[in-house]
Formats: sequence, structure tokens, C-alpha cells
Amino acid sequence: MTTTTRTILCLTVIIAAVALMAIPQAAAQATTWQQIPIPALPPFHPPQPKRIQLSNGMVIFLQEDHELPLISGSARIRGGSSSEPVAKVGLVDMFGEVWRTGGTKTQTGDQLDDFLEIRAAKVETSGGPDSTSISLSCLKGDFDDVFKIFVHVLRNPEFRADKLDIAKKQAEDSISRRNDEIGEIAARESAKLAYGADNPYAREPEYSTIAAITRQDLIDWHQTHVHPNHIILGLSGDFDAAAMETKLRAAFESWPKGADLPKNEIKFHPSAPGYYLVPKEDVNQSTIRMVGLGTTRNNPDYYAIAVFNEAFGGGFSSRLFNDIRTKRGLAYNVGGGIGTNFGHPGIMQFVAGTKSQSTIESIQALDEDIENLTKDPITEREIKNAKDAILNAFVFRLDSPDKVLAERMTYEFYGYPADWLDKYPAEIQKVNAADVNRVAAKYVHRDQLAVLVVGNTKEFDKPLSSLGPVKTIDISIPPPPGAQKENAEEENSNPTVSNVEGKTLAAKVVAAMGGEAKLSAIKAVKASMTLTQKTPQGDFPMQMESVIVYPDHLHAEMQTPDGAINVVVTPDAAFMDLPNGQVQNWPEARKAETLEQIKRDPIFIAAHSKDPNVFFRADGTEKVGDTDARIVDVNAAGAAIRWWVDPQNGRILKETYRTIGPHGPVQGETEMDDWKPVNGINLPLLRHNKQNGQDSSTSEYKTIELNPAVDPKLFEKPAEKPPAQP
Amino acid sequence: MKLTLRSLAIVFILTALGCAQDVASFEKRIRVKQLPNGLTLLVCERPEAPVFSFFTLVDAGSAQDPMRQTGLAHMFEHMAFKGTDTIGSTNYAAEKVALEKVEVAYAAYTAERDKGVGRDEAKLKQLEKTWKDAIAEADKYVVPNQFGKIVEQNGGQDLNAFTDYDETGYHYSLPSNRLELWAYLESERFLHPVLREFYKERNVVIEERRLRTDSNPIGRLLEQFDAAAFEAHPYHRPTVGWMSDLNYFSATDAKKFFDKYYVPANMVVAVAGDVKAEQVMPILEKYFSHLPMSQKPDEATTIEPPQNSERKVELMEQSQPLYLEGYHRPDYRSKDDAVYEAIADLMSEGRTSRLYRALVRDKKIASFSAGFSGLPGTKYPHLFAFYAFPLPGHTPQEVADAIHVEIDRLKKEDISDDELKMIKTRSKANLIRSLGDNEGLATQLATYQTRYGDWRELFRSVDRIDKVTKADIRRVANETFNDTNRTVGVIETTKGTGHGSNQSSADPASQESGSPDQGGAQ
Repeated sequence: MTTTTRTILCLTVIIAAVALMAIPQAAAQATTWQQIPIPALPPFHPPQPKRIQLSNGMVIFLQEDHELPLISGSARIRGGSSSEPVAKVGLVDMFGEVWRTGGTKTQTGDQLDDFLEIRAAKVETSGGPDSTSISLSCLKGDFDDVFKIFVHVLRNPEFRADKLDIAKKQAEDSISRRNDEIGEIAARESAKLAYGADNPYAREPEYSTIAAITRQDLIDWHQTHVHPNHIILGLSGDFDAAAMETKLRAAFESWPKGADLPKNEIKFHPSAPGYYLVPKEDVNQSTIRMVGLGTTRNNPDYYAIAVFNEAFGGGFSSRLFNDIRTKRGLAYNVGGGIGTNFGHPGIMQFVAGTKSQSTIESIQALDEDIENLTKDPITEREIKNAKDAILNAFVFRLDSPDKVLAERMTYEFYGYPADWLDKYPAEIQKVNAADVNRVAAKYVHRDQLAVLVVGNTKEFDKPLSSLGPVKTIDISIPPPPGAQKENAEEENSNPTVSNVEGKTLAAKVVAAMGGEAKLSAIKAVKASMTLTQKTPQGDFPMQMESVIVYPDHLHAEMQTPDGAINVVVTPDAAFMDLPNGQVQNWPEARKAETLEQIKRDPIFIAAHSKDPNVFFRADGTEKVGDTDARIVDVNAAGAAIRWWVDPQNGRILKETYRTIGPHGPVQGETEMDDWKPVNGINLPLLRHNKQNGQDSSTSEYKTIELNPAVDPKLFEKPAEKPPAQP
Repeated sequence: MKLTLRSLAIVFILTALGCAQDVASFEKRIRVKQLPNGLTLLVCERPEAPVFSFFTLVDAGSAQDPMRQTGLAHMFEHMAFKGTDTIGSTNYAAEKVALEKVEVAYAAYTAERDKGVGRDEAKLKQLEKTWKDAIAEADKYVVPNQFGKIVEQNGGQDLNAFTDYDETGYHYSLPSNRLELWAYLESERFLHPVLREFYKERNVVIEERRLRTDSNPIGRLLEQFDAAAFEAHPYHRPTVGWMSDLNYFSATDAKKFFDKYYVPANMVVAVAGDVKAEQVMPILEKYFSHLPMSQKPDEATTIEPPQNSERKVELMEQSQPLYLEGYHRPDYRSKDDAVYEAIADLMSEGRTSRLYRALVRDKKIASFSAGFSGLPGTKYPHLFAFYAFPLPGHTPQEVADAIHVEIDRLKKEDISDDELKMIKTRSKANLIRSLGDNEGLATQLATYQTRYGDWRELFRSVDRIDKVTKADIRRVANETFNDTNRTVGVIETTKGTGHGSNQSSADPASQESGSPDQGGAQ
């Protein structure tokens, strides 16, 4: 503690010296700002919290602050969303919410609300990327009552299911609203570009991952993480530290240690450089973010980076602000720098918001400013201004006991030295022009940045593609599991771009069916099967033989008790040839739907999986039987179908699609079973069909012939025979 | 400058604080002085750390924007960062001449541009070129952003300003050894403002409009909602300004606005932090007494007539639904102001609030719901508003119905003893919590000093809340929350949400009268 105070003292001297250098002698009556006297800043010894470590490993900081009759504090517990399972993204958010709202073993969350609110007190919990936390705030007279609740919530939470339900609904609400504002879209998608879409600091909860979270998961999280050896507790306010220490020791000293947490190795995979576009029709301003991976604060370059950031993309004095906002009037929001964090790399980003009509112009302006860093390095003058700004503002990092406490807790949490901040001004002071331009050259490479643009493409000054190849990012929200049945008409699950996982799964499906070479050699399929219709009156089996010539010819012959029915569908005709000799034309809609069916056939999709108009988007996970199937939305040249794919063996377990039932459009569902090798490829020989969730039929394949000889007459319309007399 | 709904509610709950927390101690720490020129100075000693914050409140906002010049108050706020005759210029004498030429050229250009009949396109082109050339000439003398740079290089924090309907506020914080530098900068900024780079900054403001209003569904709703709820009072116009006005007004107009409203009698400057009043007051006096005395402007406005039928604004958007409704209420000086604050607290504050319990916890139809006073301002009669974000699968109508059930309860049943106690305790505690930082203190003290002529009202407001009775709440609810006094604003979601939509609906932005590219005659 004494060391700290001494260092801070030295710092004030440095700050004062900096100020004095800049300012000439004071005049009695100032007429310009340079003449204003700036006295030395009085010595300032910000109060340091007392650090206590209990025998069970819990670390406590106590910070007295007697200004107001209040006490506040928080406990930070190691482990956060960066270590939650990928199938349950959102788990730590749910945990952070329900930890408090779900109440304790003895009181419901509602009872806690009533008890605390009438005292204007708060006990709250939350989840973050690296930790979860629980905080309290109260008038000092209520501390003992409120602290009791704090301890109960910390140690004996109940996670009542009704509150998990509310938390899930709120999470779903956030998911549904996440594409409403361009700023939110840009922040989210640029983080994915900088860190990699699956990186735990970038990924987002989906309906399916929220649905997968159970009360038991919350209980398990608590049991794994909430142990004294993973906790840093800080309290500040109007109390006596010695008395408070006694109280806290009484509350926590006997709490046994828990097991160590597994090490959480996180990989960062920045996206390839280039242009990425999120089209948004309902805006007239574009958000531009050029992003790459930043660094951590224990990097020796950190101080030079801080000066660079201030000079290049910080405030009023920065190059970006002066060029893009002031000189060119292109943007209200502009700035950026090499981002840093304590625990993981920050995001390097350069950002501007500009009217649609100056989107490309603004990207080029940012380009120019970044490229100028080499031609026109940051000058001594700019560096001096940036350092003055940082050093003169340093006192604001310590200007309240709460801030000092929060800084200390952060260093403790991330394993930084306790005097890390004390060294900061001296380290900044040392930074020179060579350092700044070295870090600029080392980290900032325009050609390595991913450039994200969110905006209204039809208003752009030039197409984004005029700058280079553009990848369109699909931000459509994967629908909740099972929701497709209810509102398939409104859902727009038909993807227009593939995602990486979708393509990977499609490749697996192709491989599982026998490989692209064999599949694309299939021009026609002849099959015989037993089709059993399920009706309220019972099952009605019949034999059927079908011939499909890809991509758009179908002939089927069904044996009914009255005789054979032939169905023919081609782009030119669709009709049913009835046993009584009548030929019934199908309506256009039914014809179109049957042609779509051909395109939805797994053989057809698998054979065309690499066509430019066939897209696969993996969306989430759902159980089919005992298998955790991946959901893949497929757009097969305009025909929409959703697959449930076994990620282990690439088999399609189930598919859903819109089709036409006896009474109009219905949601169709087919479960595929009995996969067998057939003439060198693998196919499901048993299919269970449902319409609007009701069992409708099964198809059992008997024989399947590939590339049979097909008589073109099969698709010709017969001359109408006179109706047979009864 | 503008706030989203969620943060609006928070802000207005915060300004509703009140308590007798140690008024006596604040009496000792606060010094107020009105200078002969009419300016009110307020110094609050808070020697916790060697820093201070200030808040300059100009008692004029966008409600004072002249016709065809909406957005002008906000535009001037931006210009107050452009420097003075001695800050931001390499040669002010020459720059002054050049700036005058810009104004002459701009007037000639807009006169031709805005001709209803007989516009001469060739002449217009020439006039535009003359204007732009004049700007380029004036720009030669500019030292860009020098005002902001001086503040930053001296360690300035949170350098910013805001404009709302009621007032304009300027603020930042500095180390306490820079107090005199600040007094110089802040007084000079209003003594010798130079409106340089006006038309470039106007484009920045237009980007701000695109950011907050045109490209934001809630921004679009609020603009239309205010326009519907207020027909006569200036609250019906957007603070950021209509696009055509932004493309019309000039630096000359902004200077006129400044001359009329930025007069010492219309301003309060509050400083809070590590300062000694007896040392600081003479310094402030030395600098701020230079501001020339002028008459306090007349800020009376057209009075909004009583509303006699429900009004509704419904936006079809690609974004998720939102429900908002507002009821006219009297201005902040009303004897019932504290009753409205009590209702806002009861309905909105935390998980015990009635709207949370009804809509979020029990009916499970909304992710968030609250009610608050102060839409879109408080100085003039304004709205008490309720809003909710419906959960997926639920409609704005369902949340509206649920809000109305809660309003009916307010009208028909007394609130409980516990609820009343909760409101009162919370108002005291919230005040205490707001006293622990310089910036918040300077803002609150300047605001109360301006609005009531006495900063002590900040502490007395708690007494007013303490006097609120159950009967008051029923009475005010019955007087205010009536169907004919209501304006409704709804965002409904169009089909074909987002990417890949083949039901491409009409572009919502183009439904707006203020759509930027039709604004002005560019």
C-alpha cells in the first residue's frame, strides 16, 4: 500500500511538469488561453482498498468511503460465457438473471424483491464473458439485512423454473430484435469478423441454444463455479474496515474450497480480409467497420498503442475525427484504434457512419487515412498532444474510491500486478515517435482488415463490389426449433447464401449417399413401393411405381381397388389419368408444387450441391430420436426444404417442407429410415410422412433402378376415352 | 442529443429524485452568485479528488427554433465547439471577411434555389459555385477543432453537449488546476463565438439525424408520435430538425438565435468538485462578467389546446413491434408534479413495479414495460407515457390492453401502504446516490437553479414526494389517463422480415415526409 501511494505521488509531479512545460508564465489578465496560469496539481493520495485473502482462497478488498451513508459492493466469480458449451450459448446470461430472480432455498425471488425494494436496496446478479457477479447496494443502516440476502443468493440459490421461463422469453425477445438497428448489427458482425464467428467472445445465443438450457444447467454451473477460491469480493462505502473484515470472515471463512476450474483455451480466427456486406433496406445511413484482431494490455506495446489510438482515432484531436468529420463532413460517428482488453485480445477497428450516398467515398477516406500512416507518420507534435491528453486525464481514473477499488479487482482477476495503473503514466511518458510509428506499422495493415458495411445498397454511391470481391453476410435469424410448422408461410427460411457449416454438412450428406460423381450421373430413377395412406378409417396400402427424369418429369402409376391411376407432371402438362378413362388436369399450383418436389428430392439436391443457386445454411441443433441433429435449411434452385442431418454420419434423418394436401397448403414432414446401399448409392428405403403434424402416409421402397430406359411416351397425354358405363 | 425510450425512462426517474439528505451540509458547500449582467454562477465544493466538472445550462432549446429553422438550437450547440476569434483561426481579421462573404453567397444561392417559379438552373449552378468557393477561402484560416484539442490536451473528460426541447447543456471535467483555463474557455466560447465551418458541420448534423432518426425505427416512431401528440406547441417538431430546414438555415440564422437566447440572464453555470468557493468565485466573475447584458428572451409558446380524441401513429417496419402511448399532463411546475413522479416510480421501478409484474412476470407478454413523465420535454405541458416491448408472438394490442388494466387499477383502487412507503424511501435513497459525483451534481444543481430559481428545490422535491397521498394518485390518474387524452404510437412488423424477403414492402424510410433526399433542393 505504501509503495502505491509513493508512486502516485511521483506521478502527480510528472503530470504537473508536463503541464508546466506547455504553459508559459502567467499574465495578470489573460487574453489568450496560453496565458492562463496552471498551478501544479495538489498532491493526491487516492485511498487504496485493503486486501484480505481468506484461508479458503477468497480475496476481499475493503474500501472505506464516508462521503455518503451508503454501502455497495460486488463479488466476481471466475468462469463466464466464454466457457459455456456451444450448444447452450446464453447459459451464463440465463444464469446471471435467474441466480437472483429465482430466489433462495428459503425465499422466492419475488419475496426478495419486496424485502429489498422497500429499503431502496439492491442485490443483483449478472453474467459476463469471463465471470459472473453478484452485487449489493444499500443505505448503511440496512447493511446487515441486505448482506444476509447477498450471502444467501451467493450460496443457496434455488433457480426456480418459472423465472428461467421469463428469462428465456426475454432472451428470445432480444434475439428477435437483434437486427432492428444497424449499430447493433455492425457491432455483432464485426466482432465475428475480428474473432471468428464461433469464438466465444463473438458468438450469439440462438433460439435453439436458449431452448436447450435447463434449470439443471444453472444448478450445475453454480456448483462448479461458485466457490470461495474463485471469488474476488470488493466492498466500498460508509463502514469501518476492521469491523467489516470481522463480519466477512464470520460469513465466509468456514466456506470450503472448491475444485479448480479447467483451463479454457480460446482460439481466435479473424476472417479473411475483404469486403463483407449486410444489406439493410430500411436505413439511409451506412455503418462501416474495418476490423482485425487487437491485443491484450500486458503486451509491452500497450503504451505505444494507447498513444497511437489517441492520436489516430481518439477524440477531437485525432486524425480520423479531423479528416472525416471536420474536413470532409462525412460522418457524425468516426474513430477507432487498436483495441485492447485485460484477458483476451481486443478488436482493432476503424469506424464511420455516413449517408448511403457516401459509403464508398467514406471507405476510401478511411483507406487514405490508414495508408497515410506510412507516407505521413504520426508527428512529434501529434504525439505530444496525445500524451498530454492521456496524462492530464489520468487523475480521472482514480477520482473516486469506487474506481480505485474496481481497478484493483480487475488486476487481481486477470493476474496483473497490483500497481499496474501506478506505472501507467511513467510508461506513457516514455513513448516516443519511433514507438508509435513502430506499433502502427506492426499492427495496422489496411490489406489485412475485414471491411464490414451495413447499409442500404441501392442508395450507395457505387456498388461495394467496385472495391473488390464482396461476401454477403446472411443475418436472418434461424427460427425457433419447431416453429416452422406454425408459421412457415411467414418464416423466410429459404437461405440465399450458404454458411460454412451448412456447406460442410451438405458435403457430408453427399458423401453419405455415395459421393458427388455417382450422384450426378443419375439422370432418372425408377422405383416401386408400397404407399400406405393413414386415414381415420385405417391404413390403406397400395402399390406404386414411379419414374422421375430429372429435373422436371414425373410419371407415377398407382394400383387402386378401382384400377390404375397414372399421374404425369412435366413443365408442359400435369394430369391424372383415371381408371374410368377420364383425364383430369391438375391446377397450376399443384403442378408447380410437384415440380418443386422433384427439386426437393435428396438425390437431386445432393447431385447439385455445388450449383451456384443451391444454398445450405446450418441453423441449430435438435433431437431426432436420440440423435442431436443439425438443422440445415436448403434452397434448391428456389425450392425450400429443411433437413435434420446426423452430423456423425451425414444421414438426413428428417425433412420438412411446404406442400399441398387434400385441403390446400400444408406443412409436410418426412422421417427417413432404413438407409441401404442401392446400386452403389445409399438411400432411405422407409419414409414416414406427416402433414401438419399428423401421420399421413408411409412409403416402403421395394426396388430402385438407376438410369432406367424411359419411354418418352410415358409423359404423353392419352386421348380421352368415353367414360365407362357403370 | 436524443435518447432511446429505455434510457429516457431512466433519465426521468433520476431527475425525479428528492430528499433532505444533509441540506445543511450542502448549504455550507454551495455558493450562488448572480452577476450584474444577469448570469447565475453556482459553486459546489466537493474535495474528494483534485478534479472538477461543470455544467452550463442555457435555458433555451429546440422549442425556441424559429419556423423553417427547426434544428437550429442543436446546430448552434455544435458550433459552440468551433472556437472563438482567438481559438481556431490563423488570421481572424481575414477570416471574418471571408465568413461574411460565405453568408452573402449562401443567401444568394438559397434565394435562387428555393424560388417557386422561374428558377434559373445555370445561375443556380454559378451561385452554388460562388458559395462553395467562398467556403474554401474561409477554410484557409481555420485551425480545425482547436477548442476541443485544448480541452483534451489539458485532460478534459466527457467533453460534450446536448440539446433537447427545453434547454441546451454543455459539460466536461478537468483536473482542478485547470479551473481558470476552463473559466476562460467557457466564457470566451459564449463571448466571441465564431461560426466557422458551419455548412460542413451542418452535414455532420444531418448524419446525426440519419443515425438517430431516419435509420432507427424507434427514432422514426418518436418523431411521428410527437408530431401527432402536439399540434400547436413546438414540441411537435423534432429537436434535430426536419431535413429541409437543415438544408436551409444559415450561419447568420444561428448567430441570430445565439444573440437572442444565449444571454447571461438565460444561463446558469454550475461547478462541482475540488474547488473553494471563495477562491473560485472571483475567477469566474472575472471571466464571465464580460458577457454583455441583454434582456431575458420571451420563451412563452402557443399553448397546446386540450386533446379531445385519441390519435394514433402506426409505423409498418421491418423491425420488431413496440407499443407507446402518451397522455397530456401539465408542466413541471404543476402542484401534482410529485404525484406524477410517484406514479412513474410505482409503475416502472424494478421488479416490484406494477408493469413488470403484470406484463413481464404474470402475463408474460412483454420483455419490458414502463411509464414516465417528460416526453418530449418537461418545461411546457408534456406527456406521461407508457410503453412496452411485446414478446415474440404477442401483439402491441395485447400489451396495450394489459397497460390499460394497470391504469384502471390506479384509477379505481388505492395503492398499498407498502407501495407508498417504497416510493418514498426510494426517492430519498436515489437522491443520496446521485450526490456522489461531480458531473451529476453540477447538472442537477444547474437544472434546479434554472427551473426553480433555487438549487435547494433538488432537496425539497423529496418532501413533495413525501406528501403524496393515495388519494392524490387516484385523482391524478383519473384526471390524466383518459382515452380522449391519449396518443398511441405503434411499430408493427411487416411480413417478410429482413434478409431474403420476397415480399419487399415499401421502404419505410420513404414513407416519411422528412426523408433526407427529398429534403432541401439539392
